[in-house]
Amino acid sequence: MANLNIDSAKERTFDAIVIGSGISGGWAAKELTGNGLKTLVLERGRDVKHITDYPTTNKMPWEFEHRGQLPSAVMKANPIVGRCYAFGEDSQHFFVKDKEHPYVQQKPFDWIRGYQVGGKSLLWARQTQRWSDFDFEGPARDGYAVDWPIRYKDIAPWYSHVEKFAGIAGNKDGLAELPDGEFLPGFPLNDVEQYFSDHLKTHYKNRHVISARCAHLSKPNQIHIDQGRAQCQNRDLCQRGCPFGGYFSSNASTIPWAEKSGNMTLRPHSVVQSIIYDEQKGKATGVRVIDSNTKEAIEYYAKIIFVNAAALNTNLVLLNSTSSRFPNGFGNDSGVLGKFVAFHNYSANIGAEYDGLKEWTVDGRSPTSGYIPRFRNVYKQETDFLRGYACTFGGYRYQQHKYEGVGASLKEGLVKGDLSPWFVGAQFMGETIPKDTNHVSLDAKLKDDWGVPLLNVSVDYDDNDEKMKKDFIEQLTEMFTSAGFKNIRPSTDHRAPGLDIHEMGGARMGKDPKTSILNEWNQVHACKNVFVTDGACMTSTSCQNPSLTYMAITARAANHAVEELKKGNLS
Amino acid sequence: MNRRTVLKNLALVIGGAVLLPSCVGKDGTSYVQLKHVSIDEDGQRLIADMADTIIPKTTTPGAKDLNLPAFVLLMIDDCFDKKGQEAFVAGMKAFTAKIKKEHGKEFGDLNAKTREAILMAIEKPQVAKAKPQKNTPPDPITNFYWGVKGQTVFGYTNSQYFMTKEIVYELVPGRYIVHYPVSKLKLKTA
Repeated sequence: MANLNIDSAKERTFDAIVIGSGISGGWAAKELTGNGLKTLVLERGRDVKHITDYPTTNKMPWEFEHRGQLPSAVMKANPIVGRCYAFGEDSQHFFVKDKEHPYVQQKPFDWIRGYQVGGKSLLWARQTQRWSDFDFEGPARDGYAVDWPIRYKDIAPWYSHVEKFAGIAGNKDGLAELPDGEFLPGFPLNDVEQYFSDHLKTHYKNRHVISARCAHLSKPNQIHIDQGRAQCQNRDLCQRGCPFGGYFSSNASTIPWAEKSGNMTLRPHSVVQSIIYDEQKGKATGVRVIDSNTKEAIEYYAKIIFVNAAALNTNLVLLNSTSSRFPNGFGNDSGVLGKFVAFHNYSANIGAEYDGLKEWTVDGRSPTSGYIPRFRNVYKQETDFLRGYACTFGGYRYQQHKYEGVGASLKEGLVKGDLSPWFVGAQFMGETIPKDTNHVSLDAKLKDDWGVPLLNVSVDYDDNDEKMKKDFIEQLTEMFTSAGFKNIRPSTDHRAPGLDIHEMGGARMGKDPKTSILNEWNQVHACKNVFVTDGACMTSTSCQNPSLTYMAITARAANHAVEELKKGNLS
Repeated sequence: MNRRTVLKNLALVIGGAVLLPSCVGKDGTSYVQLKHVSIDEDGQRLIADMADTIIPKTTTPGAKDLNLPAFVLLMIDDCFDKKGQEAFVAGMKAFTAKIKKEHGKEFGDLNAKTREAILMAIEKPQVAKAKPQKNTPPDPITNFYWGVKGQTVFGYTNSQYFMTKEIVYELVPGRYIVHYPVSKLKLKTA
C-alpha cells in the first residue's frame, strides 16, 4: 500500500473519480463538478492546455520542416498509426506511437490512440449524428447481441443537453432514422451535393443526402462564448487543435468548464492499474494509479467511479481489476467482459465525376460534408445481410495545374489552370455485428512499463460485413449512374479493423446481468457505484459516428449518479 | 552566377523553416550535412543546378533564390526510404557520368538552353523506347530526374513566396460560400 497515513488518505479522497479525459471523460467531469462533486480526473498522458499546447496550430504550410510530409523513419517506426488519415507532420504529437504502448494483435487490428488530456477529442472527425429507435431496437428486432436497455426517449433529452453545450451545426431534416437535434445553422451543401440530394429525393424512397451534423460553432450562442470559444473559421486544420475553439473538444470545452467550477482536480501522467473493490462494503472504494513519471503507486478514493479510458482501455482496466468477488475482471459475473467488441467497417469508397454545374464552385472551406443516412433494412429486413451503412458524400473541384516541362513554362503551368469538373465521392460506414469471438483479453505474460498486462486484441470482419460492403458498391454505383455521374470508380481495401477508430463494446449495457456488464444507467450490474460510459458500454454499433452518443450517455449517467448519491443509494 | 557559389544560400532560412546544419566545403561554400544518405559536394551542386533549371529565376524568384536545393536534399535525406535513396544516388551517378561523357563538362557549366534540353530529353524522350519488360526497374536517370523535379516543384509550390504571391494560401478563410460563380474566383486560367 502506497501510503497509510490518515491525512494523506484524506487528501486522496474525492466524491468522484473519472478515469480518462477524452470526449466522454470530459463530459463526466463537467456534469459531476457542475453538480458540486469534488472530482478527480485521471489522465494517463500529459496535460494539453487549450491553445497553449497546440504547437502547430498557427503554422503556415512552409513553416513545417517537411511541408507536411512525415520522415520515412517515422513512417517505418509507426506502421499502425502511420495508416491513420489524421497522422501528419502537424498532428503527430497528439498520437500514441507504435513502440510507446505495445499491444498484442491476435488478429490484425490498428489501435489508434491519443494519450493526453483531451484524448482523441482533439483529433476526431467531429461528426455528430443522433441515433434513433431504428438503432436502439436493432438487436432485439434482428436477433443479435442483446437488447439495449434504453430507447431513444431515454436519451433524447441528453442528446439535447450535450448538443446545446458542445455546439452542433446542422439542419432540421425531419428524418425518422436520423432525429433532429438542437442545431446551430448547418453548413450548406455545395451545388453537386445539393444536386445529388435532389436527385435521390425524386428517384428513391427514403434515400437522402443531408448536411452532416458536426460539432462546429457555425454561429456561437452565449453558452459557447462563456466557454471562451469563437465561431468556426473554416480552417479545416482541426487535428492541430483549434485556437478559436471552433470545434468541440474536451480541451476547449468540458475540461476548462469543470476547472472553472473549482471542483476538479486534474492529474495527468496517471495510469490507472485497477479499480479497488472492498469486499466488506461490497462496492468500489477507489483506484490504484501508477505515476507514469515516478512509477510510484498511489491509491485514490471516491464514492463513485466513472470509467472513460476509451473503449479498449476501459476493458483493460476492468479485466485487470480482480478481487475475490470478481476473479475474472470487474463486474464480470456473466463472463462477457471483453467480448462482443465491434467497430465500423470503412473498407470501401466510391468516386466519380459529374459533367454538369460547370459554372458553379465554392469559396472558402467547409468543416463537414454531405451525409447519407442508413437506408438499408431500416423499416424492415430487406437484404441478405443484417443492418446497414451510412455514407459520407462530398463533391469538389480543383484548379488543374500543369506539371510538364521545365523552366518558365513550368512556372506558368504551376500557377495557371482551369477548374476541374466536379468530382464526387462516398465513404462506406458499415455497422458490424458484435460477437463473442471478437474479443479482447489480458496477455498472460507480457506487461507494460507500469506492470499492467498488455491487451490481446482479436477482432475481425465476418461474412455479413462482406455482403454489406458488396451492397454499398452496388447501390452507390446505381445511385451515381442514375444521377448521371461518369467514370464511377468503386474501391475496396483490406484494412484491419481499428482504423475506423470506432471500436466499441466489451462491457455492454443490457437488461440481464447474466449477459451484460452494465445496466440501463451504465452502472456495473454487480457494483452500482462504478459507471462505464465510453465506447465500451455499446451494446451494438449502428453506423453513426459514435461520439455524440457517448457524450449523451455520459451526461445521463452522471446526472443519475448525482441523484442516487443524494438519495443515499450509492453509499 | 558562379556555380561554385550557388549553394551559399543553402542554409538560409525562408519564412521560419528550420535551419539546416551545414558544413564548409574545400572551396569555402556551405553544403548541407545529410544524415541518412551520402551526396557529396559535387552531387549537391548538381542537384542545385538541376533545381534551378527546373524552376529558374525569371521575373520571379528561382529555386536557388528560394533555397529549394537545400529543401530537396532534406526531403531525400529524411522522407525517401533507404531503397529510394539508393536508387536516387545510383541515378545521380549515372546522370553525372552521362553528362561528362556527352558534353565533357559538368551540368552546371552548360548554358541554360542546353540544361533545359537535357532535362526535357529525360522527361519526354523523342525516340520511343522499347516497351519495358514487366518488373524491370525504372531507368535510373529518369528516376533520379523525377526525384529532383518532384521535390523541387513540391518545395516551390509550398514556399512562402509561392503561397503569398502566386496562389495565395489562406490559413483562416472564415467563410464557406456555396453556389459561387467560377468567374468570381479570378483564377489565372491556361
